[in-house]
Amino acid sequence: MSLDRRGFLLRSAATLGAGGLAEAGAHGLLGGGEARAAAAPSPDGVDPGLATRVPFDGEHQAGILTPPPEQASFLALDAIAPDRGSLAIGLQELSSRARELTQGSTIPPQEVDDPPVDSGTLGTTIAPDALTVTIGFGAALFDERYGLARRKPAGLTTMEPFAHDDLDPARCHGDLLVQVCAQHRDTVAHAVRELLRPVRGAFALRWTIDGFQGAHRGPSPRSSRRNLFGFRDGTGNPDVADEGLMRRLIWVGEGDGGPAWTTGGTYQVVRAIRMHVEFWDRVGLREQESMIGRSRVTGAPLGGADEYENPRYDLDPSGVRIPLDAHIRLSNPRTPKTDGQRILRRGYSYHRGFDAAGQLDTGLLFVAFNRDLERQFATIQRRLADEPMVDYVTPVGGGYFFVPPGARGASDWVGSGLFA
Amino acid sequence: MSPSGDVAVIVRSQLDHRRFTGGRAVGAYDRRARSAMTRPLSRIPAGVLLGAALAVLGGGCGGAGHGAATTATTTYRGFAIAGTSASAQAVADAAAQKPTGAGVRSELSPLPATAFDGPVARYRAYAGRQADAMAGAVARLAAALRRGDRAGAQAAWLAAYARYLRLGAAYGALGALDTAIDGTPGHLAGGVRDPRFSGLHRIEHGLWGGAPLATLLPWTARLAGDVGRLRHVVRSVAIDPLAYATRAHEILEDAQRDMLSGQAAPWSGAGVLATAASLDATEAVIGTLRPLLDGRGEALAPVQTQMAALARVLAAVRRAHGGAWPPLDALTRAEHERIDGALGALLEALAAVPGSLETTMTPTIPTIAEQAR
Repeated sequence: MSLDRRGFLLRSAATLGAGGLAEAGAHGLLGGGEARAAAAPSPDGVDPGLATRVPFDGEHQAGILTPPPEQASFLALDAIAPDRGSLAIGLQELSSRARELTQGSTIPPQEVDDPPVDSGTLGTTIAPDALTVTIGFGAALFDERYGLARRKPAGLTTMEPFAHDDLDPARCHGDLLVQVCAQHRDTVAHAVRELLRPVRGAFALRWTIDGFQGAHRGPSPRSSRRNLFGFRDGTGNPDVADEGLMRRLIWVGEGDGGPAWTTGGTYQVVRAIRMHVEFWDRVGLREQESMIGRSRVTGAPLGGADEYENPRYDLDPSGVRIPLDAHIRLSNPRTPKTDGQRILRRGYSYHRGFDAAGQLDTGLLFVAFNRDLERQFATIQRRLADEPMVDYVTPVGGGYFFVPPGARGASDWVGSGLFA
Repeated sequence: MSPSGDVAVIVRSQLDHRRFTGGRAVGAYDRRARSAMTRPLSRIPAGVLLGAALAVLGGGCGGAGHGAATTATTTYRGFAIAGTSASAQAVADAAAQKPTGAGVRSELSPLPATAFDGPVARYRAYAGRQADAMAGAVARLAAALRRGDRAGAQAAWLAAYARYLRLGAAYGALGALDTAIDGTPGHLAGGVRDPRFSGLHRIEHGLWGGAPLATLLPWTARLAGDVGRLRHVVRSVAIDPLAYATRAHEILEDAQRDMLSGQAAPWSGAGVLATAASLDATEAVIGTLRPLLDGRGEALAPVQTQMAALARVLAAVRRAHGGAWPPLDALTRAEHERIDGALGALLEALAAVPGSLETTMTPTIPTIAEQAR
């Protein structure tokens, strides 16, 4: 993935009472040798990576262009607030707690007779740890319950089942999606627990899933991390540092059919895709690579040497080098016509036990952002309908969500445009 | 290259590159279509099943023209080796103009596609016997329904289903007939009440769901007609060599994913019986391939060991349940774990089979620079 890490660090690097650790903390997000150089323990025993702070407020929400931290939880919620006013208060609470948690704080002393205001699982200092909380809305929120139908984002639909999907209704859709990402699992788990506490009367859990990233294992800082099929994933992502490109591919603009409050937001796709890893592990390497279209070791397109090399489909019209139905070739044919269909992927791996036949329930938590679900993600997905890889994966859950623009400051909240 | 190279050229010109490299995709495609067919209805979105049905039809035109794979197979169709005293390996060697010698052959030396004629012919004969037996079971099913004997009808249904599962290496070539016999109603607007829902699972739904037995007679009559056609079709069905070698492990992968997990045959819970039948089909396929695998790489011995191990586990479970295959929910945890484990170990062994039976050299991938020249 071609990420503008430097830009991200400039935006996000900050300290939390740990002064000189900020720089080291920033390095914690880098790959390869830089991370090793930053791994020296601090005198007070605090993991230096914890100091990295990502702003909550801004033109766009965090957790979209910001580099994906190591750990994530996705919470789909159903709105149970009795009325529109309660819904608004619930959303305000959610943003307010998210802001506190992501920016860090110190838990004050309190009456010993009261339940503690914080679970205490992170101690008394809540370090930001690159925590982001990204809030999105599903199409269901815009039904008759809260009178929001006229506020519905023009391109928001309920995710359709695609060919070969085996969607479990209990693991799909939802009124809200809250994406919680941080460098450490305990930070994510703590944030999830604290976020839900003030909104129990407004939102009920519908489904959740936890994700993790592969470590940065090189060989270069740019090298993409691997998914559970063993292949580097995210190589073809658009450059998030290119603001013009992001406006073209990711951010909803004023001319996109509105309503006005949606400008600066984006559409999020989440799909829990079970990988039948036992089956996959019995497939010959050459066939694995032919299904993907890349070398498993280097990530280079077949016949190439470098991960970021152009696959040059123009030189291979009959698919002798990269089969015509290889995943990378179908998903991004790299033609002028398909250029505007590109999406920003920000996926995680997941693992959640095993099925009744003793097979691992593990796979890819596909997460992507795009400006137009139909023109971009759905078009790509339909093109992939009969790729050979469908035998080794089963999409089982997920949904579409609209991720509103960011809150403008401490007095604003994500979703305020719904009620303006 | 020798004439085996010519075989490769013929086939490669008609198949895409990928289907050639691992020899898995053809059968794998068939498998996907089947697995959607056998999933419980409530969990299958309509679009999926429609797609799967199309896939079966598309992938299953095998008899007439399953792309080029069939063209290659039908070119070499013949039963000659079955009637000669020559082993398939000897025939293979003769076709490849190789000396017949002792010792382990390199797996890198491709087999000619004709080497599969004998194994496929023997499997067809096996499948024909299974279809005959299935017809008998369907007749017993009808008789039990007529005399109002639900337990007898259920037993006959299980026998019919187990026979059908033994055709596992031929499903991909059966097309619409497979859907008619073994399809599920997930793609039908009316679900289980849709009048187009027919076949084994329509009857299963009624038998275990308490439907009046007489209402199942028309479905059983239709099934009997389809099985009658099946008896003829399986005896002449074209199965391409790659798909055949691949089905050696895919039959049991299907069993693991769809049957032992409880997704297939949801009303009868016949996952253990289905696994046993799938093992039987796998043993039949491996039995036909044994002359090719013997002395060719190291794949055969572990497969035989693990097939025997799974058979022992299944037999012990059957004994523990009074000599009948228990429904999945009657298995103890330990029994389920032992079956899962033995099946998993067998699948790991079977994974080496297709690689040992390649009919072409794995082609070298050209570099971008070479293509740019």
